[in-house]
Amino acid sequence: MKYVFQFGIVWDHLPRLVEGAWLTLRLSVGAFVLGLMLAALLAFARTSGPRGVRIAVTAYVEFIRNTPFLVQLFVIYFSLPAIGIRFEAVTAALIGMTLNFAGYATEILRAGIESVPRSQIEAGHSLGFSRLSIYRHIIVYPALRAVYPALASQFVLLMLGSSIVAAISVEELTGIINTLQSTTFRAFEFYFVATGFYLTLALVLRLLLDAVYWLAFVRGHPAEKAWAR
Amino acid sequence: MNRRDMLMGAATAGAAGVALLAAGSDVAHAQVTPAQTAGGVLDRIIKDKKIRVTAEVTSPPFGILDRNNQPDGSEIETSRQLAKDLGVELELVQVTAPQRIPALLAGRADVAISSLSITFDRAKTVMFAPPHGALSIVIAGAKKNSIKSAADLAGKKIGLTRATLEEATVPGIAPQGTNLVYFDDIAATLQAMVSGQVDAAGMSAFAAKSVADRNPRAEIENKFTVRTAYYGAAVRPGDFDLLQFLRTWVFLNKQNGVLARIYQKYTEIPLVDLPVL
Repeated sequence: MKYVFQFGIVWDHLPRLVEGAWLTLRLSVGAFVLGLMLAALLAFARTSGPRGVRIAVTAYVEFIRNTPFLVQLFVIYFSLPAIGIRFEAVTAALIGMTLNFAGYATEILRAGIESVPRSQIEAGHSLGFSRLSIYRHIIVYPALRAVYPALASQFVLLMLGSSIVAAISVEELTGIINTLQSTTFRAFEFYFVATGFYLTLALVLRLLLDAVYWLAFVRGHPAEKAWAR
Repeated sequence: MNRRDMLMGAATAGAAGVALLAAGSDVAHAQVTPAQTAGGVLDRIIKDKKIRVTAEVTSPPFGILDRNNQPDGSEIETSRQLAKDLGVELELVQVTAPQRIPALLAGRADVAISSLSITFDRAKTVMFAPPHGALSIVIAGAKKNSIKSAADLAGKKIGLTRATLEEATVPGIAPQGTNLVYFDDIAATLQAMVSGQVDAAGMSAFAAKSVADRNPRAEIENKFTVRTAYYGAAVRPGDFDLLQFLRTWVFLNKQNGVLARIYQKYTEIPLVDLPVL
């Protein structure tokens, strides 16, 4: 069978595709920032909080990491209205992505915190640092540096995984693509272009993340110098 | 059979229509003329004591396979009724949805009874008997949302399922300002309606009935009918004797309530008034 590709129709709908990609990007960055903030709190609680809190955080992390993202989304979007909590689709998607990313990021940050040599923390104690000061001045920087590549990968996964939120009617890139292909019957063309969009987004994000890494950790940061010595 | 399967039937029927646009013209040329005995195909059926009818079994509630893997569904029951009224044996010719018309034209079946919606394009290739069933796309929603006609959709959030008949028809009647939201499968659309994430949703009348019965607390009701497609039996071009029999057959079974009973039995909704073809 010979299939004739007709990309003209894709160009006709380009503004909508760009709109979708823009929403994908906004959701991903939003969930990354919010999720990272939440994860920092949770990782702190998990490593130095009281026992009850540690158990609660561990339970949260295991719940998030061992249930499908799609099901988590359905719970937020379809089930919460039953107890009177209703979110718009985009809000539900942002909440779901944030909670999901926070689950993974907590584990990543915990690994980073635990990678800081015990002796350095003890040195802080012996110098009379408070627990928070130890975090602020001794742990955070080397811990972040150690897990930065893992966090960056998780961010890209978050962006690619955001395609799932189309299932709760969010008109991000995948949602737009699905609607366009089912109304125009040019599935190959649209999926082809969607792949290109995601690939470009992922590559650009990686470049940006590498740049941030270089700025924060390589370009002779004073703390970096002190730590690396 | 569940509500999702029912809707899949509607979706398949729609998709099949598109596929046929492509397939129909080629097949028409390849048509095998059946052996024309003196009296035509109707006489042959009566003489052989056997009628061959297409059976498409992937479109609930029209055609399905039952627990024993035997064809069942409203169209299969309709075929049985036809054979019974003719006083002949029924031979079901199993076909896929896109093969329904090709199988008829190729002479593998004498008549196609497989929820074929009556359309211009199909009428160019086959001859339709008067419709014996209908498939309606409706807007359904909770009782508290006041929607009486298409104009009331403005400002409302309406759920639709991608790649279905409702996706093809509802946007055309929705006024400016309607917020159409799309889901990937019917289950998600129904769930969005039941949980109140959308004000109303487009779906087949079967799905609306099914979801309303299963969620009494949500108070789902039909708001209005968007479009009704009528389906009927189809015969090869030129088989006027069989077509005339089918006309009479539909007329009689409409009068005696048999068609309405079959339709109600499988779709669980009453048959609408069938127009005359």
